[in-house]
Amino acid sequence: MTTDIETSMVDASKPAGSVPSPVARAKWKRARFGIAVLATQALVLAALLVVWERATPKGSPAAFMFGSPSAIAGFLVQMAQDGSLWRDAAVTGTETLLGFFMGNLVGTLLGLSLWYSRFVSRVVEPFVIALGSIPIIALAPIVIIWFGTGLVSKVAMSTLSVVIVALVTSYKGAVGVDGDQIYLMKTLGASKFQIFRKLVIPASLTDIFAGLKLTVGFALIGAIVGEFMSSSEGLGHAIFKAGSLYIIPKVFAALVVTIVLALVLTWLVGKIERLLMPWRRRA
Amino acid sequence: MSVEAATHARPGQGEAVNGTALPLVVEHVAKGYDLNGQVVPVIADLSLTLRKGEIVSIVGPSGCGKTTLLNTLCGLLAPDAGRIRWHGRQVVGQPQNVGYMLQKDLLFPWRTALANTMLGLEIRGVPAAEAEDRSRAMLDQLGLHGFADHYPATLSGGMRQRVALARTLVNDPDVLLLDEPFAALDFQTKLLIESDMVSLVRKGGRSMLLITHDIEEAVSIADRVIVLTRRPTAVKATYEIELGSDRADVISLRENPDFSRYVRRIWADLDVAIQ
Ligand SMILES: Nc1ncnc2c1ncn2[C@@H]1O[C@H](COP(=O)(O)OP(=O)(O)OP(=O)(O)O)[C@@H](O)[C@H]1O
Ligand SMILES: [Mg+2]
Repeated sequence: MTTDIETSMVDASKPAGSVPSPVARAKWKRARFGIAVLATQALVLAALLVVWERATPKGSPAAFMFGSPSAIAGFLVQMAQDGSLWRDAAVTGTETLLGFFMGNLVGTLLGLSLWYSRFVSRVVEPFVIALGSIPIIALAPIVIIWFGTGLVSKVAMSTLSVVIVALVTSYKGAVGVDGDQIYLMKTLGASKFQIFRKLVIPASLTDIFAGLKLTVGFALIGAIVGEFMSSSEGLGHAIFKAGSLYIIPKVFAALVVTIVLALVLTWLVGKIERLLMPWRRRA
Repeated sequence: MSVEAATHARPGQGEAVNGTALPLVVEHVAKGYDLNGQVVPVIADLSLTLRKGEIVSIVGPSGCGKTTLLNTLCGLLAPDAGRIRWHGRQVVGQPQNVGYMLQKDLLFPWRTALANTMLGLEIRGVPAAEAEDRSRAMLDQLGLHGFADHYPATLSGGMRQRVALARTLVNDPDVLLLDEPFAALDFQTKLLIESDMVSLVRKGGRSMLLITHDIEEAVSIADRVIVLTRRPTAVKATYEIELGSDRADVISLRENPDFSRYVRRIWADLDVAIQ
C-alpha cells in the first residue's frame, strides 16, 4: 500500500524537543500523504483546464467543437439555477441506485449460492458466459418495449448491466475459499450451511466489494443508455438533447455532473466497505 | 532402558482394554490419489492405535503421506481400504470430540482472536455467553490475556498459532490430531507453545497424534514415535519413549542422554539421505 512507503520514510527535518507519540506521527504522515496526493491531483486538473481554456478562445471554431471550461462552468451555473441539474441528477441517481442495488443483490445471491452445488454451477456456466457477452445496449429497445419509457425501463437497463458482473465476482470469491479452511470448519462439526454463512460469505466480501466498486460505473452507464433511448428527464436525456442541438459545452456540463455522481457513489461504497470489514482497516 | 524398535502396532486390538474402547484404532488403511485416471498409492497398508492419555508422534519422509493420513483419520478423505474406529466405532463423516490443527493457523481474518476461538462452540450451538467465557479463559491460559479483541493481522505468528491452539482446545477434544502445527515458528516460540500444549493435554487426560518433521520434537513430546516409510507408506518402526517421569517439561528433557540416543536411532530409520 502506498501509505507503507510513506510511513517508512524517516522525517529528519522535524526539530527535536517536542516528541509526538508514534501513533500521532503515523497519523500525521498519513494525512500529509493524503494531502500531497490531493494537491497533485488538483494541480494536474488545473493545468488541463488552463490548456483547454487557452486552446478554445471564445467564439472560435475550437470552442464550438470542444467547448471550453468557462462555457461549461456557465452551463453548470445555469443548470443549477433553473433546477434542471438537480432534477436530472436526482432522476439518474435514483435509477442508478435502484439498478445498482437490485443487480448486485440478485447477482451476488446467485453467485454465492452457486457455491452450494458444483453440479448446478457447471450447468449454469455457459449460460452465464453467453449472457455476459451480450452488449447491454443491444437490449435497450426490447427493455423499453417490455417496461415502457419510464423509470422501470432505466432501472432494468441498469440492473442488467450489473447483474452478471456481480454474479461472476461473487462466485469467484466463493469458490476461491481456502480448502483447508473448509476442512477446519468440517472438523469443528459445521454443516454445509454453517460453512456457507460463517466462512464462504465473509471470505467472499473482498471480492464482492471489488465487484460493487466496478459496478457503480456499469449501473450508471446502464441508466444513461436507457435514457438515451427514450426519456424526458435525467442526465442521459440532457446529454442527448444538448448533443443533438450541437451545444457541446452543455454536453460536457452534464457529463461533469455524471462524473460527480459516479464519484459520490464510489465513495459511498468505500465507506460501507470500511464499515463492514473493520478488520481490514488495521491490517 | 532399551532403545530398540518395538513391535509394530497390533491390529485387531481395537475393542476393549480394561473395559473401555481405545480412542483410535486404525487397521490396514490404504489410500491413493487419482491422478489423471491413474491411482497413485500414497498409504500402502497402515495400522496404528492411540490409547487414552497417550501422545504419539508420527515422523516420516517428506511427501510420504502424513497429511493424507490425518485427513483420512478425521473423515475428510475416505480410505480405499481398511477400518478406522474412534472409541470403538466406525464413523461416517467427522468424528466427535476430535481437534484438528494444521501448520497454517487458518484464523479467519474477519474474526478477532476471541471470535476465532469461539468458532467451534458457536457451531455446536453453545450459548454465546458461555462460549465467550470459556474462550476467554482458554486464551488467558495460553498467555493471550489482553489480546482477545485483536484481529489476526495484528498478532505475531506465535500468537496466531496460540489462538489456533485455543480454538482447538476450547472444544475440549478427547483426541488431538496435529499436522506440524508449529513448524513455521522459531525455535524458542515453538518450545514454549509446545510445553504449554503438552501440559494442557496431559492435565486433561487427552490423547494426541502429532505429525512432525522434527525428530527431537517427536522424542521430547511423545510416549511413542511411529516412523513411516516412504510412499507408498506403512509403519516402519515404533519406539516407546521412556524418559522418566516429568514428561511435561519438554525443555529439560532434551538434556537426558537417552534423548539423543532415541533421536539418532530414529534419524537412522528415516533414511532421509537416500531419496
Ligand atoms: N489432492 C491430491 N491429489 C493428488 N495427489 C496428492 C494430493 N494430495 C497429496 N498428494 C500426493 O500424495 C503424497 C502425500 O502427500 P501428503 O501431503 O500427505 O504428504 P506429507 O507426508 O504430509 O508431506 P509433507 O511432509 O511435505 O507435509 C504426495 O506425493 C502428494 O503429491
Ligand atoms: Mg504434510
